[in-house]
Amino acid sequence: MSTASRDQWLSKLLERFAVYVPVEREKQVHWHRLEPADLGSGADTITPALRRIRASEPVKSFMFNPRQQVSAFPDKLEPAESKTRVLLGVKNCDLVPLKVHDEILGEGEFKDPFYLAQRENTILVAADCPVPEESCFCNLLGLTPYAGEGADAVLSVSDGEYLLEVGEKGRQLIDAAPDLFQKAGEGDAAVVKRGEERKAAVAALSRINPKQWNPDLPAAVAAKRKDESFWQKHAEKCVECFGCLMGCPTCYCFLLYDQAREKGLDRTRVWDACYLAAYARVGGGANPRAEFVKRFANRFICKFSDFKTDHGMFACSGCGRCFKACMGKIDIRKVLGEL
Amino acid sequence: MNNPYEAIPATILKTMDETPNIRTFVLKPEQEIPFLAGQFVELTVPGFGEAPFTPSSSHFKRDTFEMTIMKVGRATGALFDLAPGDTVGVRGPFGNPYPLEKFAGKDIYIVGGGVGLAPLRALFLALTHEIDKYKHIYLRYGARTPNDIVYRHLLPEWEKLPKVDIDLSVDVSDDKWMKKVGVVTCLMDEIPCDEKTSIAVVCGPPIMMKFVNQRLLDVGFQGDNIYLSMETNMSCGVGQCRHCRLGPYLTCKDGPVLTWAQIKDIENPFV
Repeated sequence: MSTASRDQWLSKLLERFAVYVPVEREKQVHWHRLEPADLGSGADTITPALRRIRASEPVKSFMFNPRQQVSAFPDKLEPAESKTRVLLGVKNCDLVPLKVHDEILGEGEFKDPFYLAQRENTILVAADCPVPEESCFCNLLGLTPYAGEGADAVLSVSDGEYLLEVGEKGRQLIDAAPDLFQKAGEGDAAVVKRGEERKAAVAALSRINPKQWNPDLPAAVAAKRKDESFWQKHAEKCVECFGCLMGCPTCYCFLLYDQAREKGLDRTRVWDACYLAAYARVGGGANPRAEFVKRFANRFICKFSDFKTDHGMFACSGCGRCFKACMGKIDIRKVLGEL
Repeated sequence: MNNPYEAIPATILKTMDETPNIRTFVLKPEQEIPFLAGQFVELTVPGFGEAPFTPSSSHFKRDTFEMTIMKVGRATGALFDLAPGDTVGVRGPFGNPYPLEKFAGKDIYIVGGGVGLAPLRALFLALTHEIDKYKHIYLRYGARTPNDIVYRHLLPEWEKLPKVDIDLSVDVSDDKWMKKVGVVTCLMDEIPCDEKTSIAVVCGPPIMMKFVNQRLLDVGFQGDNIYLSMETNMSCGVGQCRHCRLGPYLTCKDGPVLTWAQIKDIENPFV
């Protein structure tokens, strides 16, 4: 599909879905809910943003909301009905962590109906990262700067051509405007170009992060569990703003907290952060991680050792949001590079 | 789909003061909570929050159930202001029950400290309900002073039960105290059962658990026969929120009772 047809396609999508696209604001990429007025103005703000890296807001926040009311005791609370959402331009570093959210909140004996309702009601359209930036390190986690699996559709944009690959759920994106699409083949210029750009992006990441971490990272991190001096030199740069944890696409810790109503209560599920002093404190006041250095170490041990045991993957996709947010410029790459 | 965060309303039928800061609440939930001894529930004090507690009554009677709770913080403070007729919320049961099938045919050596006797009472009642399945039940219980002993009115009844042996201690005695004085390990100088094969079950304050566990190991109890109630901060209760993580476990899902064999490699598990 050509860029010229793109706005017609998006208009069609808007008739059926709530569509979110990346936009650039003050050099950062942010999610923006597309309005009909955004289209046809002549200036293409979407393509450049689609070709940038991930948005500042992690994609998990669309399904695993920062604040979500989950109960209205003693009344029943059901997930709200909403229009199906299309997220256009989900990067692989946001896509891979959703596997963990699906596992924790969407599988097993106890499922989170509020997460599931929004998850099932969302069409994830992945987009390549042709130009990785200095904060990116997905390659150190074994990820690629383009989607492998987990997306409902994959969009690649280059040289004025939009290439859309769809799965079962993503099929409705083409069905919304079938006339605008042409079937692509292996030899098509857009497909060839996509392959070249992907190779170049992988090479760029190798230049940004040439040194791989310790091949047995879980064991290397766990071995430092009690070595407070190792963590202290990094921890002392932290101002405890928790920006790293709020921006993380993988972290899923939450807290249920209650607010009184005239009769009964509202229970809200809010994101929590293991850096907070009260995180592990029990009712009587005892706290296994009262000192910050222990909480700092715990974050790394959780992400790079415990998580591997629990979920078979690291709690990090190399998106670099933690580093970008950090006032002390604590860089996971540097901390783990010492192991 | 069931909402795991939604509590079932429960009416407080009765309260009984056990000690100056420990109270037993008799609750009648709108729907039966199908708990087994050792499993816990999340108790909502409307407007003040939620906290995990283990029912202390027998799982053979569940239309009402009891919980014995110590006043320590915000939620328990508000709970103590409630009276019979008031409504609370209950979610659960969560976690694993005591594996009674593994206890069959064995001596059970139970050690409790302070309010830690509350969850052990549910176990004790489950065991004595089917006493023929077990060899002997030994209950060793320590409290700070005679006034801090919970279930004072029940203990004389329990002592009369067949195949039950109970001994008590207090850290600080008064004029009327006729039994041992000292921390609960002073009741463990002589272990009346076979250490190699018996089951030990421990619940109490962390420092007490640490020393009782050490004593059990010293006399020859096997790590996988020592059952310890682990205290961690729990929020969701259903293995999602990650607050209660202890070593490789989520206490709410893998516990709340874990064996020493499971936790022995965890740095400082009794905090």
